[in-house]
Amino acid sequence: MKLYLRTGEGLSGADRKAKELSVCILIGNTGIIFIMPTVVVMDVSLSMTRPVSIEGSEEYQRKHLAAHGLTMLFEHMATNYKLEFTALVVFSSLWELMVPFTRDYNTLQEALSNMDDYDKTCLESALVGVCNIVQQEWGGAIPCQIVLVTDGCLGIGRGSLRHSLATQNQRSESNRFPLPFPFPSKLYIMCMANLEELQSTDSLECLERLIDLNNGEGQIFTIDGPLCLKNVQSMFGKLIDLAYTPFHAVLKCGHLTADVQVFPRPEPFVVDEEIDPVPKVINTDLEIVGFIDIADISSPPVLSRHLVLPIALNKEGDEVGTGITDDNEDENSANQIAGKIPNFCVLLHGSLKVEGMVAIVQLGPEWHGMLYSQADSKKKSNLMMSLFEPGPEPLPWLGKMAQLGPISDAKENPYGEDDNKSPFPLQPKNKRSYAQNVTVWIKPSGLQTDVQKILRNARKLPEKTQTFYKELNRLRKAALAFGFLDLLKGVADMLERECTLLPETAHPDAAFQLTHAAQQLKLASTGTCEYAAYDQNITPLHTDFSGSSTERM
Amino acid sequence: MKIFSESHKTVFVVDHCPYMAESCRQHVEFDMLVKNRTQGIIPLAPISKSLWTCSVESSMEYCRIMYDIFPFKKLVNFIVSDSGAHVLNSWTQEDQNLQELMAALAAVGPPNPRADPECCSILHGLVAAVETLCKITEYQHEARTLLMENAERVGNRGRIICITNAKSDSHVRMLEDCVQETIHEHNKLAANSDHFSLSLMQIQKCELVLIHTYPVGEDSLVSDRPKKELSPVLTSEVHSVRAGRHLATKLNILVQQHFDLASTTITNIPMKEEQHANTSANYDVELLHHKDAHVDFLKSGDSHLGGGSREGPFKETITLKWCTPRTNNIVFSSISELHYCTGAYRISPVDVNSRPSSCLTNFLLNDPRYKIDGSLEVPLERAKDQLEKHTRYWPMIISQTTIFNMQAVVPLASVIVKESLTEEDVLNCQKTIYNLVDMERKNDPLPISTVGTRGKGPKRDEQYRIMWNELETLVRAHINNSEKHQRVLECLMACRSKPPEEEERKKRGRKREDKEDKSEKAVKDYEQEKSWQDSERLKGILERGKEELAEAEIIKDSPDSPEPPNKKPLVEMDETPQVEKSKGPVSLLSLWSNRINTANSRKHQEFAGRLNSVNNRAELYQHLKEENGMETTENGKASRQ
Repeated sequence: MKLYLRTGEGLSGADRKAKELSVCILIGNTGIIFIMPTVVVMDVSLSMTRPVSIEGSEEYQRKHLAAHGLTMLFEHMATNYKLEFTALVVFSSLWELMVPFTRDYNTLQEALSNMDDYDKTCLESALVGVCNIVQQEWGGAIPCQIVLVTDGCLGIGRGSLRHSLATQNQRSESNRFPLPFPFPSKLYIMCMANLEELQSTDSLECLERLIDLNNGEGQIFTIDGPLCLKNVQSMFGKLIDLAYTPFHAVLKCGHLTADVQVFPRPEPFVVDEEIDPVPKVINTDLEIVGFIDIADISSPPVLSRHLVLPIALNKEGDEVGTGITDDNEDENSANQIAGKIPNFCVLLHGSLKVEGMVAIVQLGPEWHGMLYSQADSKKKSNLMMSLFEPGPEPLPWLGKMAQLGPISDAKENPYGEDDNKSPFPLQPKNKRSYAQNVTVWIKPSGLQTDVQKILRNARKLPEKTQTFYKELNRLRKAALAFGFLDLLKGVADMLERECTLLPETAHPDAAFQLTHAAQQLKLASTGTCEYAAYDQNITPLHTDFSGSSTERM
Repeated sequence: MKIFSESHKTVFVVDHCPYMAESCRQHVEFDMLVKNRTQGIIPLAPISKSLWTCSVESSMEYCRIMYDIFPFKKLVNFIVSDSGAHVLNSWTQEDQNLQELMAALAAVGPPNPRADPECCSILHGLVAAVETLCKITEYQHEARTLLMENAERVGNRGRIICITNAKSDSHVRMLEDCVQETIHEHNKLAANSDHFSLSLMQIQKCELVLIHTYPVGEDSLVSDRPKKELSPVLTSEVHSVRAGRHLATKLNILVQQHFDLASTTITNIPMKEEQHANTSANYDVELLHHKDAHVDFLKSGDSHLGGGSREGPFKETITLKWCTPRTNNIVFSSISELHYCTGAYRISPVDVNSRPSSCLTNFLLNDPRYKIDGSLEVPLERAKDQLEKHTRYWPMIISQTTIFNMQAVVPLASVIVKESLTEEDVLNCQKTIYNLVDMERKNDPLPISTVGTRGKGPKRDEQYRIMWNELETLVRAHINNSEKHQRVLECLMACRSKPPEEEERKKRGRKREDKEDKSEKAVKDYEQEKSWQDSERLKGILERGKEELAEAEIIKDSPDSPEPPNKKPLVEMDETPQVEKSKGPVSLLSLWSNRINTANSRKHQEFAGRLNSVNNRAELYQHLKEENGMETTENGKASRQ
C-alpha cells in the first residue's frame, strides 16, 4: 500500500513548469551527521587545589569535587550516549589535549585521576585551543558541547579573563577572540563555587559575558549551598538533565507504533524573537501524516537532522537497548532481544528506502518534519528525521501543509495512472520577475533589444503580425508606466521610416499595419487618457487584404 | 529573526513635480540599424529619459528584486507627490506585485512640465508616507489577533525611500523636520484614539532614505550624509545621486542593504549563440539572494572569494562554477536523492532580461511538470484518517501473513480499507471470496511460510483455515466503516463456513496457530470499542465458543503443542445462521443461489420483520417495550443503532 500526499489547493490550471528558483546550501560529509561531540575543559590551575572545608571528614580540594562531577557525567554518557565522542582538555596558562575524541570512557576516567596542578588560569588560550581541536576533527558544521569546569578564579594580569574581555574589541582578524565558536555550540560553565562566592567579585559577570559572546548559547551552573560531593552531584545532575537526556518519543503511523530515541536531542526553536519569543519544543508523539516522493520534496531546507533509533523500553520505562547495529558488536542480550521483536521503525525504514519516499511527520502545531532513509556507508543506512522550520508553509513548492491530503480523495490521480507525473512543485500565485518576461530598460541594451524585436517583426509583416503587435504592446505598456513618452514617439518615427523603405515586393498589408501602428503610438505618446490607457492594446488594423494572419486575430 | 523589522514596510515617495520632467541628459541610442540596410539612412536621434522615468524604473527594479526574493511579508506602498499625494496601492498582499504598480504608474503618467511649481511639493507625499506607515498590514493584524493579550509585541517599523530633486541642504533639513513632526503628531493620534486602534499603530522606528537626484553634468546642490538619528523614532540618510544609470545602481545597492542580500555569480555557463548554433560560448550570470546563503562559505574560511572589492562592499560576489546537471532537473540537486540542505534562498537575477540570465532561468524553469485537473479541499486530517484505516490490520512480518502474499486477495484487500465502498467494490470483494473458495475446492497451495516449523508445515486444509481467519480479521477491522463493508463480511462468513465435525477433525491435527492469533490480537483493541457484548445474538455464539475452548484444552494436553493462545471465541460460524452447516463444503449450487439471493434482495425492500429478525424469528410488538421504557437491546440489530 502506498499513500501519497496530495495538495488540494489551486491545482487546476497549474502549468508545466516549476515557477520559482532558489539557491540551496547543501552540506557534504553525511557520514558523521548524528554526532554531537563534547569537549570537557578542565581548569588545573593552582586555585583548583584550594581545600573545601567540610566538617568532620577528610579534606577535599575543588579539583576533587570537579573530578567527582565529571565522573558522574562520564558514567551517564557511557550508558546513554555510547556512540558519542568526548575529548578532555586541561588548562592553566597553557593548555593540553589530555584525551583526544574517544568513545572510551575508561580512558577519560583514568585521565581525570592523573591530573597535575599547574600555575594560573588563562581561559582565552584554552578556548582558542578548543576551537582548533574541534575544527580539526569535525570542521565547522557539527554541533559541539563544551563543558568548562572552573572555580571562578579567572586569573590575573595578561591572559586573565578580565584582560581578555577588556581588549576583546581591539583584536585583529588573526587573534580574534575565540567566542562565538566558529561551529554550532553550547558552552556550559560548571563552577566549583557557589553563587555568593562568585558574586563577591566580578567573576559571575565575566562568565556571563562569555555566554553572551557565544550568542547566548550556553549556561552557567553554580553549586547550591556548601561545597560538598552531594551538591556537586546535583549540579552535574542539572547539566545532564539539560544537555544529556536522551530524547524519547513514540513514532506513530495509524495503529503502528514504535518507541524511539531521537538523537541528537532536537533543540527548541524560536520562530520570531519579537512576537513569539517562547522556544518551541517538538512533541514526544511523532505522528506520521503521509508519504511523498523524494523527487517532489527535493532537498528541502531543514533546521536540523536526527537519527531515529528504535528502543526497547522495559516496564519501568528504562531503556533496555537500542536496536541499531554497531561496528564493535559487543552489545548485550537486551539488544538481541530487541532485535527479534518486529519493529515498526524497521518496516518504515525499509519501505521508505525501497519506495524512494519520505514520510511527513507532525512535530507540533503547525510544525512538520520528514522521516527518510539515509545511507551512512555503502552497506548501512539509517532512519533519519529532519525538522522543517515551524509554520503553515515551510516548503513553498508543496503549498500549505494542511492542504496536503490523501491521493484517493482526488477525482483523478494527480500522479497519473502510470505514476508518471506529479502535482508538485506548485506555481506561486505571482510569477517571479524572471518567469514573466518583465521589461527593464536600465541598461541601454535592454531597450535596444526590445526595439529591435519590433523592427525585425515589422520587416516580416504580414506573416508576423501577431508577434509584431505583441512586442509593440509590451513596449507601449512599459513606456507608459515609466512615463517614457519620447520613446513611443521615437518608435513611431522609426516605423514610418520602415514604411518608406518597404521593397516593391512587399505585401500591401505591411504598409497599412506599419502606418496604423505608428499612428497609434503617436497618439499614445500624447499621454491623453483616451489613447494612453495602460490596459488597452493596439490591435492590428483590419484590412481587405486576404492576409490570413490578420483574419485570425 | 524579526518579521516586523523596518523592511516589513517600505514606502516609496517619488517626486512628480514639474522639474522631474526634465531630461536626465543621458542619451539612449534606440535606432540600432541592421548592417546591410544602413546605406543612405541616417539613424534617428537618440532620446533621453526624464528624471521621473529614471526614478520610476529604478524604484521598480528595487521592487522587482524584493518581490522575487521576498514574495510575502515584505510590503511596498507607492506614493507619488505633486499638488497632492497619490497613493498607488495598499499594504494588502494582492497589491504587492509589479503589474499592479506599473498599471498605477501608467495611470499617473509623467509629470506635467507646465504645471504651477508653486502648488507642487514632495511634502504631500512624505506626510502621506507617515500616515501609511501607521496603517496596520494584514500580517500585523493577523499576528496581533493571534497573540491576543501579547498584541503589543507586534512591532511597527518602516522605511521611507524618497526620490526627489532638492534645492539645498537646508531644503533637505526641512523635509526631515517635516517627517519627524508628522510622525510625532500621528503617534499621538494613534495613541489617543481608541477608535483607530484596530487599524492604526504608532510608529516605533522609521528609516528615512532621502535620495536627491539631478541631471548628469550638473553640480549637486545637496551633500551626501550617512545615517543619523534625528530622534529615537527617526533616522535619516541623504544620498545625492546623478540620474540615469547612477540612480539605478544606487537603488540596487540599497535593496541589497535593506534586505540583507548578497550576490553569487554563476560562471562559465555554456550557451549557444544564435548566429553560430553549433558553437557555444561561456557566460556569467549574477544572482542576488539572502546573504545567509553565504554564511557557510564564509565560515569555512574561504574569504578570498569573489571578484574584487573595488566597487564597494556590495559589489562582492561569490563565484560558483556551472556544472551541467546530469538529469534535466533542478540544477543543484538530482531527482531521486535527498541532500542535506541547511537553507534554500529565493533568487533574483541582477540583469533579468539579459540573454544569459534568461537562458539560465528558462533552463531551470523548464522542468517539465504536468497539468492537474480536479481538486478537492482536503485537509491533512483526512490523510491521518486514511493511515488509521490502512493500519488497522497490518502484519509487519511477511512470514506472519498469508493473505498479503496472495495475489488473489489483492482486489479485496485494496478496497476494504476504504471509507466507503461502491457496489462494484462489493462485487469485486465477493468475487475475490468466491475465487478463494474455488481455490480451496481445487486444493491449490497457499504461500504459507514454513520458516521455524518442523516438517512440511501445516496441511493444506489447515492452511486454508489460517488464511480464512486472517482474511476475516482484515474484513472485520473495517465492518464499521459502512453497511457495504458488513456485506463483504457476511459473504465471507457464508463462504468460509465449515461443518463442525470437519472443523473438529482438522483442529485435532493442527500444531500451530499462533499466526492467526497474532493477527486477531491486532484488531482486538479496535473491536473492543464496539459494544457487541450485550447483543442477544452473541450469547448463542458464546455458548458454542465454550465448546471450542473445551476442545482447545485437549490440544493443550498434547506434549509438543505450544501454549494455547488465549483465543477469543470464534464468532464466524454463528454470524450466518441461515447457512446450513451440516452439508459439508459449500456446493456450487448453494454458492450460486446465495449469490442470486443477494442480488435479488437488492432489488426489493426487505420485509421489516425479516430484516430485524434473529435466527429468522422476529419479535413482535417491540414498540410496547419501548413505550414501557425497556431496553430493546435483546434484538441484535437494534443494539447497533
